[in-house]
Amino acid sequence: MKRLAMTSFLFGGCLALLLALVPTAAAQDKPVEVSVTLEKQKFTPEEVKVKAGQPFLLVVTNKDAKPAEVESKDLRFEKVVAPGKTISIRVRALKPGTYVFLDDYNKSTRGKIVAE
Amino acid sequence: MGATFVIVLREGFEAALLLGIVYAYLAQIGHADSRRYVTLGATLAVAASVLMGLAVSLLSGPLADVGPDVIALVVIFAAVALLTWHGWWMGRHARELHGDLQRRVDAAHASHQLWMVGLIAFTGVFREGAETVLFLWGLTTQLQDLTGWAALGGAAAGLVAAAILGWLVFQGGRRLSVQRFFGVTSVLIMFLAAGLFSAGVGRLQGIGLLPGGDPLWDTSWLLDDHGGAGGFLAGLIGYRARPSALEVVAYLIYLAGASLVFFPRLFRRGSGNGRVETLILTK
Repeated sequence: MKRLAMTSFLFGGCLALLLALVPTAAAQDKPVEVSVTLEKQKFTPEEVKVKAGQPFLLVVTNKDAKPAEVESKDLRFEKVVAPGKTISIRVRALKPGTYVFLDDYNKSTRGKIVAE
Repeated sequence: MGATFVIVLREGFEAALLLGIVYAYLAQIGHADSRRYVTLGATLAVAASVLMGLAVSLLSGPLADVGPDVIALVVIFAAVALLTWHGWWMGRHARELHGDLQRRVDAAHASHQLWMVGLIAFTGVFREGAETVLFLWGLTTQLQDLTGWAALGGAAAGLVAAAILGWLVFQGGRRLSVQRFFGVTSVLIMFLAAGLFSAGVGRLQGIGLLPGGDPLWDTSWLLDDHGGAGGFLAGLIGYRARPSALEVVAYLIYLAGASLVFFPRLFRRGSGNGRVETLILTK
């Protein structure tokens, strides 16, 4: 049963690591929130400004009748927001610059985060 | 219509590829009867995807915010662990599996927990499952006009195309010689798992749990990872146009470690016989 022991060890290790990390993240100081609304397949505002070097929460409210998947390849997030729901996405501290996010289900719907 | 076809095809292809490989694998080791583990794993994953889709649609609050992130990370790292274990098993037992079918059946039976293969199927389908379910559900809300129906038709065609590709992988895979099949799938699984591992590390950076995250280089001018060939490679081997330093390191470390585990005979001193290159190239 060496194999089973090894497998359980691998799994247990991964789980423990994640369970240890998540509360740590939750316990950090409450980050600044930046809100955008998705309505008629458009993000409003289309461009949000954040302070460079500070993590923040991107809060997205979906006012359309269908789900959207808010995604940014550069910022490494993808999260589904159901119709009428609001989600918040944790974003790391950014260097000054412009970062694009989009609705992966409808790629022409785009928004920008400007860190300065 | 074309857009929804491509989206569903891409999401479905990774799952179909993995299912094709594990079904062919069971045929190769003479355990076609254990297919039920894979079918069960895939079916449970579809059910879990629907439940997850419902949960995301109905729940809100902190649990709904953190939950999907935690689940996504658990699934990614569990898939890496399972694929590594699978590659390790193939690396150790490739040689025993030379002989006739009965020998393969016995060898596999003696040392293999086949239900683990069912778990591989589960993670493969569940990983993009909830997103695909929600995407399809979104399409059904737009059926007022012809465009809506065309979009749904495109998605359905994408699902069918993915299934056909998976079936082709299965048919092709089980016709290869067992050594060649093990060689090819070991390489494929190693890159797939390296890509997943690096993507998991990237997501941890994205939420700020690991430091860094700024791109080390930018090859998006050459091959963009958003769509087309780049998007396909992103899913298959973890291609990133703008990887972070930690993602690159994670990818390389995984490849280095996994090649030791997956191809033990390549690294054994004086390995005159049964080297993996010969496994892949001859036969």
